[in-house]
Amino acid sequence: MKNIFVAILLVSLLASCTKNFKDFNQDPNQISDQMLLQDNNLVGSPFSGLLFNIFGHQIEEDLCHDSWMGHLNTPTPFVGNVNNTTYYIRWNAYWGRIYGSVMSPSKQVIELAQKYNLPLFATWAKLIRILAMSKLTAYHGPVIYSNYGTTASTILYDKESDLYDSFFKQLDSIQTTFATNTSYTGFKKFDPSYSGNISAWMKLVNSLRLRLAIRLSKVAPALAKTQGEKALSDPAGLITTNADNFKVSLMGQKMPMAVICFEWDDTRMGAVMESFLGGLKDGRVSKYFSTASNSALYADHPTFPYKGIRNGAYIGAKIDRVPFSKVSEDFQTVPTRRSFTAAEVSFLKAEAALRGWVGAGDPQANYENGVRLSFADWGAGGVDAYLADNTSTPWNYVDPIDAKNNFTASSTITVAWNNADNNELKLEKIITQKWINNFTNSLEAWVDFRRTGYPKIPHVAKNDSSPDWGVIPADQWIKRMPFVNGERTGNTQGVADAVSKMGTGAKDDIATRLWWDTGGPNF
Amino acid sequence: MLRINVLTVLLFLGLTAIAQNRKLSGVVTDGTTGKGIPSATVSIKGNKGSNRATDADGRFSLSVVNGKITLQVSAVGYVAKDLQVDAGTNEVTVSLAQSVENLSEVVVTALGIRREKKTLTYASQSINGDELRKAANINFMDALSGKAAGVNIFTSSSGAGGSTKVVLRGNKSLNGLSEPLYVIDGIPMVNNKGGQPGSYGGTDQGDGLSAINPEDIESMTVLRGANAALLYGSQGANGVVVITTKRGRSGKVTVNFNSSTTFDKVFNLPAFQYDYGAVNGSDYSWAMTKGSGYKRGYIENFFRTGVDATNSVSIAGGSDKTSVYFSYANTSATGVMPTNTYTRHNITLNQSTKLLKDKLTLSSNVMLSSEISRNRPGAGYYNNPLTGLYLFARERDFDSYKNNYQVFDSTRNLYKMNWYSTEEKQNNPYWEINNDPKFAKTYRIIASAKAAYEITKNLKFEARGSIDYADKLFDNRYAAGGNSVSVSPNGTWSYTKYTDQSLYTDGIFNYNNKFGDFSVTAIAGASYQRNVFNDGMTVGNGTVSLQYPNFFTFANIPNNVMFKQTINRSIKEGVLANATIGYKEMLFLDLAGRNDWASTLALTGNQSYFYPSVGLTAIVSEMIKMPEYISFFKLRASTTKTANDVPFNVVSPNNTIGGTGTANATGGISRNTQVPFSNLKPEEIASTEYGAEMRFLNGRLGFDFTYYNATSTNQFLRLSAPSGSGYTFYYVNAGKITNNGFELTVNAEPIRKADFRWTTAVNLAQNKNKIVELIASNPNYQVGGDDEGFASIIKAGGSFNDVYIYKFNRNDAGQIILDTKGVPTKAKTQTLVGNVNPDYLLGWNNTFNYKNFFLSLLVNGKFGGVAFSKTEAFLDAYGVSARSAADRNGGQMSINAIQGTTAVTTIAPDVYYSSIGDRNRIMESYVFSRTNVRLAQFVLGYTFPAKNKNAVIKDASVSLIGRNLFFFYKKAPYDPEQAMSTNNSMQSNDVFSMPATRSYGINVKLTF
Repeated sequence: MKNIFVAILLVSLLASCTKNFKDFNQDPNQISDQMLLQDNNLVGSPFSGLLFNIFGHQIEEDLCHDSWMGHLNTPTPFVGNVNNTTYYIRWNAYWGRIYGSVMSPSKQVIELAQKYNLPLFATWAKLIRILAMSKLTAYHGPVIYSNYGTTASTILYDKESDLYDSFFKQLDSIQTTFATNTSYTGFKKFDPSYSGNISAWMKLVNSLRLRLAIRLSKVAPALAKTQGEKALSDPAGLITTNADNFKVSLMGQKMPMAVICFEWDDTRMGAVMESFLGGLKDGRVSKYFSTASNSALYADHPTFPYKGIRNGAYIGAKIDRVPFSKVSEDFQTVPTRRSFTAAEVSFLKAEAALRGWVGAGDPQANYENGVRLSFADWGAGGVDAYLADNTSTPWNYVDPIDAKNNFTASSTITVAWNNADNNELKLEKIITQKWINNFTNSLEAWVDFRRTGYPKIPHVAKNDSSPDWGVIPADQWIKRMPFVNGERTGNTQGVADAVSKMGTGAKDDIATRLWWDTGGPNF
Repeated sequence: MLRINVLTVLLFLGLTAIAQNRKLSGVVTDGTTGKGIPSATVSIKGNKGSNRATDADGRFSLSVVNGKITLQVSAVGYVAKDLQVDAGTNEVTVSLAQSVENLSEVVVTALGIRREKKTLTYASQSINGDELRKAANINFMDALSGKAAGVNIFTSSSGAGGSTKVVLRGNKSLNGLSEPLYVIDGIPMVNNKGGQPGSYGGTDQGDGLSAINPEDIESMTVLRGANAALLYGSQGANGVVVITTKRGRSGKVTVNFNSSTTFDKVFNLPAFQYDYGAVNGSDYSWAMTKGSGYKRGYIENFFRTGVDATNSVSIAGGSDKTSVYFSYANTSATGVMPTNTYTRHNITLNQSTKLLKDKLTLSSNVMLSSEISRNRPGAGYYNNPLTGLYLFARERDFDSYKNNYQVFDSTRNLYKMNWYSTEEKQNNPYWEINNDPKFAKTYRIIASAKAAYEITKNLKFEARGSIDYADKLFDNRYAAGGNSVSVSPNGTWSYTKYTDQSLYTDGIFNYNNKFGDFSVTAIAGASYQRNVFNDGMTVGNGTVSLQYPNFFTFANIPNNVMFKQTINRSIKEGVLANATIGYKEMLFLDLAGRNDWASTLALTGNQSYFYPSVGLTAIVSEMIKMPEYISFFKLRASTTKTANDVPFNVVSPNNTIGGTGTANATGGISRNTQVPFSNLKPEEIASTEYGAEMRFLNGRLGFDFTYYNATSTNQFLRLSAPSGSGYTFYYVNAGKITNNGFELTVNAEPIRKADFRWTTAVNLAQNKNKIVELIASNPNYQVGGDDEGFASIIKAGGSFNDVYIYKFNRNDAGQIILDTKGVPTKAKTQTLVGNVNPDYLLGWNNTFNYKNFFLSLLVNGKFGGVAFSKTEAFLDAYGVSARSAADRNGGQMSINAIQGTTAVTTIAPDVYYSSIGDRNRIMESYVFSRTNVRLAQFVLGYTFPAKNKNAVIKDASVSLIGRNLFFFYKKAPYDPEQAMSTNNSMQSNDVFSMPATRSYGINVKLTF
């Protein structure tokens, strides 16, 4: 049968034609590892992305802690005005960003660094992981860290105390490695933050250690003191000048806050910011915000032409509050955003000094230095008068649209330091100034608020918390973010174990306190 | 290309047998009317390869051996006839008697092979090209709805040039669209669907069907099951629509001219109110007291009468050695949406030449088309004129916004949109249609060449090659000064340009012979297809500002916006064989097998896969003596296994360089974090069908029944990797989907008189879909999720695209629970309320002929399923729906509710509608039955009888056309068959999509 013969012939011909299948199934617009080997791009090129993804965007920040901390608030009644800003969780995305865009690629980077004998890149990647995970744990508490990268069907989370132990130990080893390689220049091309200056990264390591130590100052005072003092005494030093500030490149993109504000009209000045900046006559206000478009909006303080939106506000129509104060136009063009500033370090040292940590120096000097560094960093004037002001206090807030959003300022602090004040009042001043300085980095403000109760910000006007995600009583604020749905359904036992690691009575809800949020006195 | 050379050599090896031939020509005529029957099949008995089809006049010519032969003549709708032709006769006239459906009908099956329908072991249904053209549809598939059983068709509501979704026998794959393969003269045609609108907006980017000129279609055969389509391999897994194009025939030149003009009007707009306005300049028309003198009618007046004009001309002719067909058509449509236009030009040229004593036939076919559409209407929230139009606050003066849709901004020296609301979804509708031009262009060529050689009397060889090439451009511009959420301050531009190219070639042996009582029809061959789709680029600045306002060119793109190159490609190689063994023309066994090699499965070890098919047909009426009134009785069964492809580049992708909006921003390397899928397999579909065909009363009544079931396994699923795994996502082969149902066609000719004839056909089909399992270890795994309050979900235990929405939160007594402020509360979780797909499809097509008048009536019905209208939810929330006014008229509306422990029986309409309407709220009131029955087509015409045989105008007819005229039954507030999207999940969802249109017009046809 001739056709059978032909069929056999054709089969053999076809079989030989499948050789190019592999290449044909590759997207020519994607870049292979082979191609990336050139100029060591393979190991170095993901770093800018790893750093970029330390920060979130609208649903991770603006509609979470930017709002909860009163820095910014949305004029938009998202999901019927029932959403994260009113304590009903609609978005829980930072987890996915950290695991998807930091942990997963950095795992590959670490493996590739080892394979191609570039161990310092692995060290660097591990430092970025600690930066990222120390932020993520501040949302959720337990996170997957030491068991990351396993194929087990259940992946256990790290208990917070273990997690911080790991962080500190790894910071030790990172710092040791960096210390013996200070002249290494291999990062230069890939490092948008410090141009590969190892000494600068070492200052960040110390500063980060200090930040984490202060976090634990109430829950584990001995460990905190040891680690804090280690950070304060390390010869590499801390971030002390604004030139040392750790900034993350926006990689040509607009600052998320500017996109959300100017392009989407979805964020405006927070009412709490209005209360503090206006009340304390803070010169930074014009660097943070734009004036409101209509003077009728700020009739309660005509000389201070700003109007913010209450945290967790009652919102009818979006248009009502679109004319409120936008953020400063400067944010439209900034190429970087602040991740760790000298001012924050100074405020950390001020608190460390209050707590008597060796090497922290004088609380007042650190406090005032922090304020000066912050004013300089933001380019604001009038710092001397500001620091001397012992009469101005935060204002009450009036919402010109809906009086349900009004609040009375509960803080009566002034800016001027008074050595006669008790530690509690001193701490309130320090943390309030830290909160102002950490504008655009409000996660740290949320950590401080939960830890110390400062600054004294109002409760949400509209509390939609419910048993779905946990009830926040009227006299409380949101405590944490729940674990993500993917983990709740896909790693059920891991999540159950994580909840048990948060202590007895803990639930995977927004009302359960994190480990370092003791709820006890500050001193 | 080595393959082709080998095939060519083989072809020429066969050029040996030469016999003495003569030419026989003739005409096949209708026994009743005496007119020529086009597309009748003429063959020489004992030589199955000699099939010829008659031309438009019923003429044919054949090369036959010297001496006496027997001609077999058959045609759709006629009783077949065998005719002895003496050695000396070279010109014959064959007159055929009409029947409802002929027993010896010939159908075009896979690979363009013509087979006698009675031998088929699977369901097929043919539709004549005239039937498709009857109502002047611009898109030939839209015209098929209701005319063939089991063909579920949704048309995009975007108007002329829009896409169409066609599903045969249910959704079989989670990964693809389950749409059939389209085949033109045996060669697969590319039908890539462009982007579709979603809740947030977008515009239908069309598909590959709209480029085809309906005038070129001679006939169409729908092969519904994978059983029929096996020979196309995995491409045919969802069924095949086989298109046979018109050909020139030997004899006199025929010129056809056809002109149709139809007018489209929107109907079925939502019910609005114009009595209550907004308070204090609010966006919401929730005043509780009536205003006076509010304008009305501006919504209806916004739409215009659309005009679709199509003119086509074709010339066909030939000699006994060559034939040629040429056609040109242009379609010019202005949509009901102002500024929307669509222009199409089609040119088709095909020719066929016989050489080497008619043993070698060389033919070619070239189809060129150009489609240009401007401002094709979209749907969804953003940049949609309908949102602003519908939600307009009633106390305002619409005309002032209409006449001053833009205002000059002297600080910027440019025009800005003038609209009272800054909502992200609202625009001045006139700004939107005038200042946000959307342009889409497709240039396409489908060219094929074929060589057929008769090696011996019983063995034929055909080699074919084709290219289907489309050049596409989508250029959407949004002027500066528009909506700040969706448009950058300097304007927004999205530009996409790419080509789709498909190369196809095959070589097939065709063998026919008889051995005593046994007949054998066998084919064997190989095919090669290389697709390079979406080969081009896309760039869009989104809300990142252009450098200079309102200037749309690459140089003006900001430097942090990435130009993205796109591609999607695959190679498929296959060998195939098929044999039909017949016994005494009463029992037919059909065996087929195909092996594919797919590039998308490279590195998996599964790139080669085989699937078989077996079928059996018994013509019972030939086996046993049947009562007189049963003229034909056939039973058939077949079973097959086929496969669905996996997508391009999923096995082991490389890394990407980031751009704006990507995880790693401009310039960063995004490492591929997918788990390598080294054991990926093709999706598998096993299907079985059983059928029965019966004809009664000499064919005046007939039915064709099919029961089928299909089981799809190895579904290709994308899953998020566990957070701690080190990866972000992975693919698995899992799941099981079943589809089963029946298809029934009943044909009848209740009246058959000399000058009055009524033929009727009912097509009925049911499909039941069940998602048996997706991921066994994770029963909650689902595809799809909530889309702003409407969830279209595929998960185990349900059906494809089940609809879930939020209902009221009720207590056990059924009372709606109000919160402390008296506002109805929403249930915690979404509830299953139905499925987007209909359960039953019904088409009832009638043709009446009275003397020279003809009347065609088509009733289409779809039964079951749900439709969802977010438009209505918005209208309620904004207080602009008629019901929101009716309830305000009464002051309070009644409700069965409870607040705390107090029963509540009344509620203020604004509180009620604000709590349920808008997106994401209590959507219970916006789910409707999808069931609808309509008069889909009405054609009344008159044929002018030709004065005499030599008249210049041989045939002329004029007809009045109506499409989508009215509903016999419909509960949804919009037309569920005119979908905002033709993808899977958004079906039967309405988010400010275009209202349905009703069309009426006139068609004139002249034949010279």
